[in-house]
Amino acid sequence: MNTPGIVVRGVRRTFGTVVAVDSIDLDAPAGQVTALIGPNGSGKTTLLLVLASLLVPDAGEVSVAGFDPVSQPYQVRARTGWMPDTFGTFDTLTCREVLATSADAYHVPRIVAASRIEDLLELVHLGDLADRPTQVLSRGQKQRLGLARALVHDPDVLLLDEPASGLDPRSRIELRGIVRGLAAKGKAVLVSSHVLAELDEMADRAVVVARGRTVAVQDLVETVTMRRTWRVRALDTAALAAGLAARALPFVVADGANADRDGLDVELGSDAEAAALLADLVRAGVPVVAMHPAAGVLEQAYLALSEDRR
Amino acid sequence: MTTDLLESRPDRDLADGGRHTWSLSLWGLRTVAVLELRQRVRSSRWFLVLGAWMLLLGGMTWLAIKAVYASYVSIDSTVAGAGTTEAVNQQLSSQAGRTAFAVVALMVLSLGALVAPALSATSVNGDRNAGVLATLQTTLLTPAEIAVGKLLAAWVVALALLVGALPFILWALILGGLDLPRLLVVLGVLALVLLVVCAIGLGWSAVAAKPVISAVLTYLTVTFLGLGLPLVFVAMYPLSTNTEEVVNSYMVPIDPNAEPGTPGATMKCVSESQSQSVFHTERIWWILAPSPYVVLADATPLGKPNEATDPLGDIRNAVREARLGPDHAIYNQCGDSSAADRARQINRDALGITWPFGLAADLLLGAGFVALAVQRLRTPTRTLPRGTRVA
Repeated sequence: MNTPGIVVRGVRRTFGTVVAVDSIDLDAPAGQVTALIGPNGSGKTTLLLVLASLLVPDAGEVSVAGFDPVSQPYQVRARTGWMPDTFGTFDTLTCREVLATSADAYHVPRIVAASRIEDLLELVHLGDLADRPTQVLSRGQKQRLGLARALVHDPDVLLLDEPASGLDPRSRIELRGIVRGLAAKGKAVLVSSHVLAELDEMADRAVVVARGRTVAVQDLVETVTMRRTWRVRALDTAALAAGLAARALPFVVADGANADRDGLDVELGSDAEAAALLADLVRAGVPVVAMHPAAGVLEQAYLALSEDRR
Repeated sequence: MTTDLLESRPDRDLADGGRHTWSLSLWGLRTVAVLELRQRVRSSRWFLVLGAWMLLLGGMTWLAIKAVYASYVSIDSTVAGAGTTEAVNQQLSSQAGRTAFAVVALMVLSLGALVAPALSATSVNGDRNAGVLATLQTTLLTPAEIAVGKLLAAWVVALALLVGALPFILWALILGGLDLPRLLVVLGVLALVLLVVCAIGLGWSAVAAKPVISAVLTYLTVTFLGLGLPLVFVAMYPLSTNTEEVVNSYMVPIDPNAEPGTPGATMKCVSESQSQSVFHTERIWWILAPSPYVVLADATPLGKPNEATDPLGDIRNAVREARLGPDHAIYNQCGDSSAADRARQINRDALGITWPFGLAADLLLGAGFVALAVQRLRTPTRTLPRGTRVA
C-alpha cells in the first residue's frame, strides 16, 4: 500500500488581519510519522484544519492522499482521519455509539463496522467503558476515544493534533506504539505538538514551524551526526570536571541542576565523539555513572533551530 | 501494535463519485437524525418536558371547555328561556364543543411554536460550541444531510408534542361531535407549521454564534409570523385608504315639512355623490395569509351554515372580509340590509381558499432557512462567522 501522503506548498491562511499561517511547506510521506512542531500560535492547528478540509487556504497548494481538500473534499475525507486538539464528544452517547455514529457517517458497512469498533475499543483500552456515556470519561480517555474515532474508517492519512495531551504515561507509550504501527502499515501520519519529548521516539521526521512559517525540516534518523548537549554524571564531580578540562571541553551545570546529583553538561559534535569521550574518561579513571543526551533529540534540534532564527 | 485492523474502508466510490453540498442520502439523514435524537433527547429530560406539556395543555383545555360552556349556558338562560328542548341543548353543546376545539387548536399552535424550536434553535451553534460539529463535517456527510437530518430530529420531537396534545384535541372535538376531516386538517396544518418553526430555528442556529441569540431570533421570527403580520396589516390599513367619490343613498321624507302620516311624509330614496375615505383592504389582505393562525383557520372546514361560528371561523371570516374589500352596500341605506348581508356572506363563502398559499409561503420561508443553514455548514470555508471556532 503506497499512498501519496501529504504535500503542502506555500500555504497561507489569514483570519482578518491575523496571519495564522504565513508560508508553510511540508511533506508527510506514507509509511512515516512526521512531527509538526512549533510554539503555541505558530499555525499548527490552522494548517491541520486546512488539511482536514475545513478551511480554504488563501494561497498555496495542498494535496492529501492525492486529492485537493478544497475541490475534492469528500475524496480527502474518505481517506483521512482527523483528531482535533479539542475533542468535543457527544456527551450522552456511549463510547460505542460515538464510534458507530462515526462509522455510519463515513458509510462504513454496518457489518464491517461492528467488529472494527470492538477492535478499536480494545486498541485504545476503552473496552470496559464501551457502554458508558462519554461524559464520564477523563480527559485522557476522551483523547483515546478521539484517536479510535479518527481510525474508524481505516484512513490512509492521519492528522493528529496534540494527541498526547492529557494522556497518562502508560497511554503515551501505547499511543506511540499505535502511531508507529500505523506508519508501519503504510499510512502517512502527521502529529502536531509543542511537547517535544512525546514526539521524540514517535517521529521519523520533524517539521518545525514558527510564526506561520516552516523554519526547518529535520530527519530524526540523522541525529547521530547532530551536534548536541550530553549530560555526564560521575561519583566524583571534581575528577570529572578535571577530566573534561584536560580535553579542552567546556562544561556547564544546567540551570537548576546540581552538579553532584545531575552531572555536567558538555556539547559534543556527534554520537561518535560522545562514545570516544566516554571511553577516554573511563580509561582516565573518572568514575562515570551515566552519560546521555541532555534532552530529547527533537528538543535539541528545536532549540538549535529556534536559536538560528534569532 | 497487537490489534489487527480489519479492512473496512468507507465507500470510496461514493466519495469519489458525485457527493456535493446538496447531496441527500437516506443513510446520511438517518445518521444525523439518530445522532441528534440520541444526543439531545437523551440529555435533556424530554419525558419530563412532555409530561409538563401535557399537564399544561390538559389544564388549559379543561379551563377553556369550562369557560366556553359557562358562557353558552348563560346565553341559554337569557335567550332561549326556561323552555329549552333536548334538541336546543344538543345544539348548544355542539357549538360549545366546536368553540372549545378551536380554542384548544389555537393553543396547541401557540404553545407548540414556543416549545418546538427548543431543539433546533441551538442545534448548529450548540454543536459548534461543543466542538463536535467539525467532526461531522470531516466525514462523508454533506452539509445538506447535516442540516436536514437535524431538522428531521427536531421535527420528530415537535411531532411528539403534537401527539401529546392529541388527547386534548380529541376531547374538545368529541364534545362538538367527532368531525374527522376537521381533525386531520388541524393536525396536518399544525405538523407543517411546526416543521417551519423548526426550520427557522435551525437557520438561526447556523447563523448566530451564541445559542441564546439564535433562540431569541427564532422566537422573534415565529412571533412575527403569527402576531406581527396581523399587526403589520393593521398598520398598513391607513395606507390602503383612498379618498373616492362614493354614491351615498339614504331615505328622506318627500317633503321635510310635512306632518307625519300625510302623503308628504312618505320616505323617498336620495342619492348623492360624496368624497369619502374608502379602505381597500383587498390590496393588503395577503399580508395576513402566511400567519399560521390564518392558515389554520382557513384550512379548518366550516361547520353547518346555520351554526354559530367558532374562533377559527371568526378569523377565517375576518380575513375573507379583508379580501372582499370595501362593502358598497353600506352606502346604500335604501335597500334591504339583510339581503345585502346575505349577498356579502355568499360572496365571502364563494372566495377560494387561501391557506395553501399561506402555507406554501411559510414552507418557502422554512426552505429558505434550511438553505441558509446548509450554506453556513459548507466546508472548507473561506470566511469564519464572527466569534465562531472551526472545530
